[in-house]
Amino acid sequence: MMDYVIIGTGAAGVSAAETIRSYDPKGRIVLVGEEPDGYYSRPGLAYFLTGELPESQLYPMSAQEFGARGFQVVQQQAVGVDPAERRVRLESGASIAYDRLLLAMGAAARMPDLPGVDLPGVVRLDNISGARDIMRRARKAKAAVVIGGGITALEIVEGLVAQGVRVHYFLRGDRYWNNVLDETESRIVEKRLVEEGVRIHFHTEAESIVGRRTGLFGRGAPAVSEVRTVQGEAIPCQIVAMAIGVAPRLELARTAGLDLDRGVLVDERMRTSDPHIFAAGDVAQAYDPVSGKALLDSLWPIARDKGRVAGAHMAGIPVSYEREIPLNVTRLAGLTTTIIGAVSTRAGSEDTLGIVRGDSETWRQIPDALISQQGFDVNRIRLMIGENHLLGAIVMGDQTLSRPIHQLVVRQVDISPIRDQLVEGENLGDVIAAFWSEVRANGAASRETRS
Amino acid sequence: MPLRSFFQRDRTKRNIIAEGHVVPDPSRCVQCGICSFHCPIEIDVRRHAWEGVPVKASHCLTCGECVARCPRGVLRFERTHLFDKEAGDAKAGASKGGE
Repeated sequence: MMDYVIIGTGAAGVSAAETIRSYDPKGRIVLVGEEPDGYYSRPGLAYFLTGELPESQLYPMSAQEFGARGFQVVQQQAVGVDPAERRVRLESGASIAYDRLLLAMGAAARMPDLPGVDLPGVVRLDNISGARDIMRRARKAKAAVVIGGGITALEIVEGLVAQGVRVHYFLRGDRYWNNVLDETESRIVEKRLVEEGVRIHFHTEAESIVGRRTGLFGRGAPAVSEVRTVQGEAIPCQIVAMAIGVAPRLELARTAGLDLDRGVLVDERMRTSDPHIFAAGDVAQAYDPVSGKALLDSLWPIARDKGRVAGAHMAGIPVSYEREIPLNVTRLAGLTTTIIGAVSTRAGSEDTLGIVRGDSETWRQIPDALISQQGFDVNRIRLMIGENHLLGAIVMGDQTLSRPIHQLVVRQVDISPIRDQLVEGENLGDVIAAFWSEVRANGAASRETRS
Repeated sequence: MPLRSFFQRDRTKRNIIAEGHVVPDPSRCVQCGICSFHCPIEIDVRRHAWEGVPVKASHCLTCGECVARCPRGVLRFERTHLFDKEAGDAKAGASKGGE
């Protein structure tokens, strides 16, 4: 009987466990994770913060369902891997033997080196306990400062606004998420944030977080009371939220002596430099055949897919991994936005370090593409047009064409019949809608011919 | 309400239920559970999305609540072609592989 040990109880870990079970009904599957809450929807935390979902709804699988699949859960932190003995050491001092090990610890929020960053009231949206901390503090707080970029920063902004907190959003540069969104898209988002009552501070950098004793006669513990900026401002607040990016959690992989770059390097089987150890999810840096580089992603469906591939190979079943075109559908200031494939604006970001949650390094690969766009208010489409196919797109607002465009990119549909029209940029929506109907009709026809 | 129109309404509803079902696109789903939360008869739509299978539960009302509430466009209605008069198996088969 095989012993499978999985470190991490997120999307990649659970997906791997399910896959292993489907191929190996008898093997022992142990999931090790320090989070007391186990498996929950990390992206769903955004909807918990806005009050759209109760916390109890965030758990896709109950403990009974884990048990029914024969998954053992060990709620402890793994502190070391001994590859020669094939054992994982736990913080309690105990150790677990493995035949196949999966590292799926995910990524953790980066914290800036700022005076006062350890004060109570400095929060991050890393996991469910971080989300609870934000909710608890938002009930009492009058004002908050949010620092960072990408999706997580806005999730926190939106959550705090929904809880009635006055939000100051710091941006180091002159616009929001400048390495993924173009200027028009940034402005659309910023305008909506301002309409929601958010105060955006451009060209602003925090210098220090100042704490003050709270409680009766100041006898309580010190907590955040204001943020001072390099520009000389002092902003009173009770919450400082950090969302400057995430970094793969590599400590355990280091103890195993694995080959590392920004993440744990894996091949197309999700295998690390040790043949018995695999990695999947945000911690794994997988080779991307399109760009010819090993890239990081922080996206739920990609984490799940990497987990599936790792699980199959751990159970000895060779499956091929085709890196999915990274896609995220998110809400930016209440505006549904789909980001597909390579959409780089060629700009460097000042607000984030490396990757953020809900993000893919693929988006910032610079495609050899012509850019076409339509719509400058709420509903907007931006296409990255390659030689014969679409390389990426951003669809903001009206999502009617989000799925068709996603499919055109994923299936690498030859767009040469409409390429000139797309480049011209007139009535992009109509051109794509008509073309998509044709593609679907032809697809259906060819299947009919085959049957 | 005349009895006939009462049955007519009931028949229309049954036809709609039989002609369409909710189909997920797992590559968009993040398992947040908003779909299951809003289902008036507590179908675990999220589980269907994880497994990539259509919601074929006979008690699904096809009310569209999950489709409308999903923040990521995971769910859509798709015709089942059960009642297409001239549709043979080929047409029904074609719809499966469609968008």
